[in-house]
Amino acid sequence: MLNNYIITALRNILKNRLYALINIAGLAIGLAVYVAGTVLVDYERSHDRNFANFDRIYTVSSLFSPSMNIGFRATDGAYSAFVPIMKASISELEYAAQIRRDEFLLSIGEDDFYQNIRFTSPDFMRIFDFNYIHGDATAIDRPDGLMITRSTAMRLFGTIDVLGRSARADHSEELTVTAVVEDLPANTHFNSSLVGTSKFEAVGNVEILKALKGYDADQNWGDLSINNTTFALLPEGRDATWLQAAVSTAYDEHYPEDVKENISGLEVAHLSKANTFLWDTVGLPVLTSISILGILVLVVACVNYTNLAIAQSLGRAREVGLRRTMGANRTQLLTQFLTESLVTATVSMFMALVLLEAVIPAFNQLLGKAVSLNYGELLPWLLSTVVVVGVVSGGYPAFLIARTDPISALRDGAKGGRAGGFLRSAMIGLQFVIAIFMLATVMVMYFQNQRVRETINLFPTSQIYVLERLTTEGVESRAETLRSELLRVPGVANVSFSNQVPFEQSNKTYDVSPVPGDESQKISLNRIRIDHDFLTTYDIPLVAGRDLSRDISLDAPGDDAQTINVVINELAASRLGLGSASEAIGKSFFSLVDEGSDRQHIVVGVMPDQNFLGLHNSVKPFVFYVSENRFYASLRIKTDNMEGTIEGVHTVWDNVVPDFPIQAKFLNETFEGVYTIYRSVNFALSGFAAIALSLALIGLFGLAAFMAEQRTREIGIRRVLGASVPQLVRLLIWQFSKPVVWALAIALPLSYFAAGQYLNVFADRINLPIGIIAVAGIIGIAAAWSVVASHAMWVARANPITALRNE
Amino acid sequence: MLKLHNLSKVYRTDEVETVALDNVNIEIESGEFVAIMGPSGCGKSTLLNIVGMLDSSSSGDYVFMGENVAGYPESKLSNIRKQNIGFIFQSFNLIDELTVEENIELALLYHNIPANVRRERVAKVMDKVGIAHRAKHMPSQLSGGQQQRVAVARAVVGDQAMILADEPTGNLDSAHGQEVMEMLQALNAEGTTIVMVTHSPAHADYARRTINLFDGHVVTENLRAAV
Repeated sequence: MLNNYIITALRNILKNRLYALINIAGLAIGLAVYVAGTVLVDYERSHDRNFANFDRIYTVSSLFSPSMNIGFRATDGAYSAFVPIMKASISELEYAAQIRRDEFLLSIGEDDFYQNIRFTSPDFMRIFDFNYIHGDATAIDRPDGLMITRSTAMRLFGTIDVLGRSARADHSEELTVTAVVEDLPANTHFNSSLVGTSKFEAVGNVEILKALKGYDADQNWGDLSINNTTFALLPEGRDATWLQAAVSTAYDEHYPEDVKENISGLEVAHLSKANTFLWDTVGLPVLTSISILGILVLVVACVNYTNLAIAQSLGRAREVGLRRTMGANRTQLLTQFLTESLVTATVSMFMALVLLEAVIPAFNQLLGKAVSLNYGELLPWLLSTVVVVGVVSGGYPAFLIARTDPISALRDGAKGGRAGGFLRSAMIGLQFVIAIFMLATVMVMYFQNQRVRETINLFPTSQIYVLERLTTEGVESRAETLRSELLRVPGVANVSFSNQVPFEQSNKTYDVSPVPGDESQKISLNRIRIDHDFLTTYDIPLVAGRDLSRDISLDAPGDDAQTINVVINELAASRLGLGSASEAIGKSFFSLVDEGSDRQHIVVGVMPDQNFLGLHNSVKPFVFYVSENRFYASLRIKTDNMEGTIEGVHTVWDNVVPDFPIQAKFLNETFEGVYTIYRSVNFALSGFAAIALSLALIGLFGLAAFMAEQRTREIGIRRVLGASVPQLVRLLIWQFSKPVVWALAIALPLSYFAAGQYLNVFADRINLPIGIIAVAGIIGIAAAWSVVASHAMWVARANPITALRNE
Repeated sequence: MLKLHNLSKVYRTDEVETVALDNVNIEIESGEFVAIMGPSGCGKSTLLNIVGMLDSSSSGDYVFMGENVAGYPESKLSNIRKQNIGFIFQSFNLIDELTVEENIELALLYHNIPANVRRERVAKVMDKVGIAHRAKHMPSQLSGGQQQRVAVARAVVGDQAMILADEPTGNLDSAHGQEVMEMLQALNAEGTTIVMVTHSPAHADYARRTINLFDGHVVTENLRAAV
């Protein structure tokens, strides 16, 4: 019997190829998206499980005071000075470590490599275990110890048998390879594509940074960058609550008071949260969104299946009638049609998996992930998904078909009648809700991303070539030579040194006040150290005052001078209470430095509010002044013969700084680099949404077909009585209108909420999400209506005689 | 009223060409009551559909009220149709979701007639066919005879000059069938032209003239003395 059902099901699929294709393809896409979403989310959530201490590893993150205005809720590390204090004050806490990432030139024999290294304390190697090829967990117990991964060893040395080999960092300190480990899998937060950090390649002892850069980790209460994570290994038998309490106590007792003003507290979180930390801290639940979208897409696909199945079942009324006449009872028919939907679901799932197998390698390649379908593990879940999808989407049509009595089925063909009216309206409503919700969300995302992308146009990014590492010891002294040599390259219009370039995600702030020493009027300014050519190089206009000049000594009085001329932006002027741009000229404000030197800043120029940091940041109050300590050289390149110019720049660098290979890129590459992480998330979210939307529209078409089919006779009668085609189209569309209003009432607030969640991530937000959502509503309805109308037109045009023929 | 001249209708599919009507010449005067008879598949319904402008001919002329409508576009035909022609079907073809009243009103809905005038005319025609007491009922609550009376009311509510009836008694028992025939006869007496397709010789007798079709040809035309 079951055999007969399956054979009928397969023959039916073959008989109605187009219908089956739409149906199976729709369901397959829905399943593929759902499975991909689930597997992806599971993959992201299951990072770091390869570490033996996974259950006991926690991160200690700093909560920013709202007054910091950073746009992040927290960062995933504490100040490095706190780590030894924390260990000392929590006696049970055996291991705690902090990472600091930095890049150095490693010289190995004749070869030079820029290498990213994670500097940390020896505890790190006790918290995390690695697969040692050579060496062991004591590798960085010595200050010059260096642990590298297998692929890093191959890249640097061409072999993995490199224990004891040395590499000189920045031509000064000698590092010794003390361990080689297997590469970490892609699914650790160290290598995650969600975090946007450098890959895990090398680990060194933080002590060496003191020698290399004068960086003293134990004294650092000032530098806190994201991805400089603090880890703690929970003692056996203790839980997170205990650790939180202990860390909070240590914070209360040992954090300096002035640091507490910026960091309002510390929060411990399990290692499993580390992978999505960046997104959690900006408030965008990426993984939850992907889960929800995956489920929505599947729901849309199921509703599609239901609609199309009902529509198609009308054509099979005769078969049903015959089967009933031959003695089939309701249960048997129900079983038959459920079998059919289960067969369809199975075929769809099979296609979905084939599709995924084809797509996943490219996806992994593109985003640096290692997602895979592990069938052994997934099989029970895949099977139950098939059963649920088959029963849920095929259940109602099966019930509807089985219910028809044989005589009317044979005579009139099955007419759903009024009984299913509510359910069908609900289905239309659901389709519209999802369609409009998706469209609105995607549109808001699109416009917000356009807004983000627009910040690239603030500066002539494609004409600015940025050289790095000018503060490296040995390079710094040659900076002015470099400048004059570079200016002799014909295509170089300007050369400007600064400690930060646009789009570099770094908030270097310090506190100032309009009144010397008055803490109550304190505001925090973002400080950019520049030279006299910065504003010209970057085409930054002034709304009042003048640019900084080499001819005026107070414009560059040296870092110890008590008075300095500065350029600020309009926001800084108003925050400082200096009034409008022109009013601010000539007014002063003072730094509030620990040493008590109230340096006077005299405003000589005011620039408009530009989003210097770009991306999700808001416009910040900025001060620009001339100073040394400038890491970057920005070159304004003339547009003709750019290739030749770049070649010239490289030649100059190689002549002036032969000991350090050039590190340079165009500013738009910097922008794209930071933007990539947004792109991949947006790509996933909007891809899912677009699929759901198109499925919803296909589903609406099916539903429209079904409803028009149901009313064929009525349409025929109306035609005979003189109704015109437009009148009939209107009638059919009208049928969709009530559920549409309901759908709007649900979808619009939902979209508004979702858009708000998404926009929260960005400080510089698009205006009027309501307007966009309203437009999305209109477009959604218009698209849906045109789908319905195109079908209605076709039905309405059909010859009424066919509709009314009763033989 | 109307005149068909050398009218043919050919149905083509990829393989077969079926001639449904072959050079038919018919003239129907205003106020006539004509029955069209013939075996199944002889072209009766095709003829009725063409006369009713629901279908178009393959060749030949169709002059309706002095106007050659052959080759007119659908929108124009639709306009002529709704002004002049009412339809009655074997299976009544009432809309299940509308009441008796609303079903009848439907025929006026597409005529740009104000609502109060529509209601008046619907009430009047319901009285005439004796269905007024069922005005608020759904078609499914009525007997076949009653349903066909509603259909007749719908066909004439717009003051149509001609009624086309496609086996109006085919689904009715003899008593109800007779009732409907008498109603048509009464309408004819008031001046409405009636063209009816029927299988029943007894009901064909109500007509003044019977046209017999066979394989798409008109074989005989019998004129009957007034009953």
